Amino acid sequence: MEKELSRLDATACADLVRRGEVKPLELVEAAIARIEEINPKLNAVITPLFEKACAAAQSPGLPDGPLRGVPFLLKDLGVQTQGDPFHAGMKFLKDNHHVSDHDTFLAAKFREAGLIVLGKTNTPELGPITTTEPIAYGPTRNPWDTTRSPAGSSGGSAAAVASRMVPMAHANDGGGSIRMPASACGLVGLKPSRGRVSQGPDHGEIWSGCVADLAVSISVRDTAAVLDAVHGPCVGDPYFAPLPARPYVEEVGAEPGNLRIGVLHGALNPRLPTHPDCKAAAAAAAKLLEGLGHRVEESWPECMGEEEFSFRFGSLTFVGTAADLDYWGAVVGKTIGPDDVEPYTWDLAERGRAITASEYIQNVDWLHAYNRRLAAWWEGGFDLLLTPTFIDPPTPLGAFEPTQEEPLRGMLQALRCAHLPSFFNMSGQPAISLPLHWTEGGLPIGVQLVAAYGREDLLIRVAAQLEAAAPWADKLPPVCA
Amino acid sequence: MSNDRSLATLDATAQADLVRRGEVKPLELVDAAIERIEELNPRLNAVIAPLFDKARALATGSQLGDGPFRGVPFLLKDMGSPSAGDPFHCGMQVLKDAAWVAERDNVLASRFRAAGLVFLGKTNTPELGVSTTTEPAAYGPTHNPWKLGYSPGGSSGGAAAAVASGMVPIAHATDGGGSIRVPAAHCGLFGLKPSRGRISMGPDIGQRWGGLSNEFVVSRSVRDSASMLDAVHGPAPGDPYFAPLPAAPFANALAEPPGRLRIGILTRARDGVPVHADCVAAAEAAARKLEALGHDVEENHPDALFDAEALAAFSRVIAASVGASLDAWSAKLGRPIAEEDVEPATWGIVERLGRIPAHEYLKALDLVHEFGREMAAWWEGGFDLLLTPTAAEPPPPHGEFSATPEQPLRGLARSIPFSAFTMPYNATGQPAASLPLYWNDAELPIGVQLVAAYAREDLLLRVGAQLERAHPWADRLPQVFANSG
Repeated sequence: MEKELSRLDATACADLVRRGEVKPLELVEAAIARIEEINPKLNAVITPLFEKACAAAQSPGLPDGPLRGVPFLLKDLGVQTQGDPFHAGMKFLKDNHHVSDHDTFLAAKFREAGLIVLGKTNTPELGPITTTEPIAYGPTRNPWDTTRSPAGSSGGSAAAVASRMVPMAHANDGGGSIRMPASACGLVGLKPSRGRVSQGPDHGEIWSGCVADLAVSISVRDTAAVLDAVHGPCVGDPYFAPLPARPYVEEVGAEPGNLRIGVLHGALNPRLPTHPDCKAAAAAAAKLLEGLGHRVEESWPECMGEEEFSFRFGSLTFVGTAADLDYWGAVVGKTIGPDDVEPYTWDLAERGRAITASEYIQNVDWLHAYNRRLAAWWEGGFDLLLTPTFIDPPTPLGAFEPTQEEPLRGMLQALRCAHLPSFFNMSGQPAISLPLHWTEGGLPIGVQLVAAYGREDLLIRVAAQLEAAAPWADKLPPVCA
Repeated sequence: MSNDRSLATLDATAQADLVRRGEVKPLELVDAAIERIEELNPRLNAVIAPLFDKARALATGSQLGDGPFRGVPFLLKDMGSPSAGDPFHCGMQVLKDAAWVAERDNVLASRFRAAGLVFLGKTNTPELGVSTTTEPAAYGPTHNPWKLGYSPGGSSGGAAAAVASGMVPIAHATDGGGSIRVPAAHCGLFGLKPSRGRISMGPDIGQRWGGLSNEFVVSRSVRDSASMLDAVHGPAPGDPYFAPLPAAPFANALAEPPGRLRIGILTRARDGVPVHADCVAAAEAAARKLEALGHDVEENHPDALFDAEALAAFSRVIAASVGASLDAWSAKLGRPIAEEDVEPATWGIVERLGRIPAHEYLKALDLVHEFGREMAAWWEGGFDLLLTPTAAEPPPPHGEFSATPEQPLRGLARSIPFSAFTMPYNATGQPAASLPLYWNDAELPIGVQLVAAYAREDLLLRVGAQLERAHPWADRLPQVFANSG
């Protein structure tokens, strides 16, 4: 029974509960057993909340939402739950035993959907890096190859879902942090449109609107279901995405029509060579899409070749990190110094502190103008852009660690990895990573599809079509064996 | 058409109707408006850059937009929306000296054109829009048509004086802290600041002043603002975010009775900001009018309004943004803009409040967003509208806001009573409108402000039209109004 349950996606689990065939507690206990079995090998779950989860599963107050009884994990960044540890990958918060004093809106929406939170997943310190190896909690390992990184920053969630501890877990994405772990772990990872999911009540926007929250999942329908459950404005959001015409789950199985798709096989920047496996993943996906009747041509927004983008975008994350250190220092009531955080965090924050408000505002203005050049490509007749999610296969653990020769190794590595996803954090467009390709060595390589702003419906439609044509649900990492 | 005085009193909708019915040619409207500007502007100094030849050419040529305002004379504020090939100085001497000309229309200017409007010129604005009066060193003070020597409000004071005096029926305006509403209040006009993201700021920027600043118009009639909103709202490709689209055209709202609304009234400003008796009286009179129309008015307001920390955060966001504007203009001009290049107030605001590190700016924006949530809860909690005076004082005389290098923030401090009621809604992004429902004993207009929940311009237009029908103001004309043909 346990093994069987572990093969089911969230929608199937919720169906079993709805039909009375399984009790929420059975799902939760099975998931706890899996976490206890697999987590020592992966270090994906850093804060178990098993007792609370069992209590919630048996409570008559368990909300009767569409995902009622489904075991779930929260990334330990972005979303907070009242009374639970919240450390954002920071040793500083861990050492100060920081506990959240409120649910964020998204946490409340996850609960209302009926999801049961079993714990918190690992994240790099404050999330600006594309691996999940915080000093505070140690590295999370990739279930497909435990010597490799699950990517980041939602690496804990991705490792947990890929190893089937839970069918779906919360994740967020400010520079690829949903899509890259999805790619590295063989999962579906949708970064929704700017303003689709509220960042309240703590924030109106993060990194000037680059950060979006949702989940990593096994199936496209699960992503659609959780998006239905949590999207939409909350009171006082500074802005929000236009509401969809119908529920996203109805897009699953809906005919996407014949789409015009541009494919870009790798980074345009010659200093960021794209690994042949990643190019091959994009080419294979292009072929698959053509076979489904879509028109795929070599085309992309020209401005993706402008190197100035990365420099301008990077500055937002530097400043965001500086602001984060101030914020958490104020919350805890202690000034955060260089010894309280990881070297890369301090380095980013120092860079951020050197940036003036005027420079920041001019960077945002430049990036907003850049977005228009980007959007013009979609406006000009293309429905989707197809790229590899990553320009490298999953990287070995430790690849981000600074060395004497390369003190900025981690940051440079992060910029490499985030290159193709990051454009769409700034533009606010929805983008999804799909597990359509595996290397000869058995490592997953995701491809990214990007739609125009607000068009998650289209992404879900075509993603479901691809999933039906080239299903991945039976592909399991060795750690599940 | 020879009776130009009657043309001057027509709103934009009526002028467009004449064109549509073939009773008047666009050129006739344009020529009549030029004549009015030539008559009135020497006294008012509202129009600082006439574009008469271009306007006449457009009115007679094939390029005139075939939109709902075809042929209607219009003025652009010399800030916010540049138009291709025309001077664009933002009230700055340094841009005037450089004879700066905009290369292209922005999205809003091109939508105004597509609506059929004819640009007759640019209206006066204080330097970079950071004042509640319109008395830039570069172009001199604009006068209030209701009383010469008095301020028309700011920063869209040139636009408001032009519309109030009958030069044009409607004119472009921008509002980052009250700059549509305060001039509308001081000049007896309808001035709607739309919701955050309702009007695209493209293509050069995605947002201004961290999302606090909006653009639209000042008009004499509610219906003109409603139809204009229909003509120019909506996202442009690549906007970072935009307001939800309305279910029906905004103009439809005019005929729909608003139903029985629950309205809170607030006549008190934050501590230390006295509210003039005329302004209290204006709000109270409006409350009685609303009650007579069947609405429930009670003394109530969002508690968050008096959050001093949030107010300080708005100032920081604006000052930092003005600093960024100076730096961006420096880059465009190819030389640094120095203290002597700008007015003491501008330099003082930027140097004393705006030169902050970026993470302090983010913290201020976070506070702005937090304030927005606390405010929104009041509307969510059952109120439809908040009613306040638009400004805490009647129109002041010229010179009231002057700053010196020794006291560069004097003007800013003096402007607090004029923006105290308006600025919170720039922070929250809610739509808010000033309505001309009251005149004091000195025959100066005193505006009242109505504020709706985010994206509910429809409600403001509905109740605005209801008040306009019950208490029409169209016949109330200022001391300085178009006379000649």
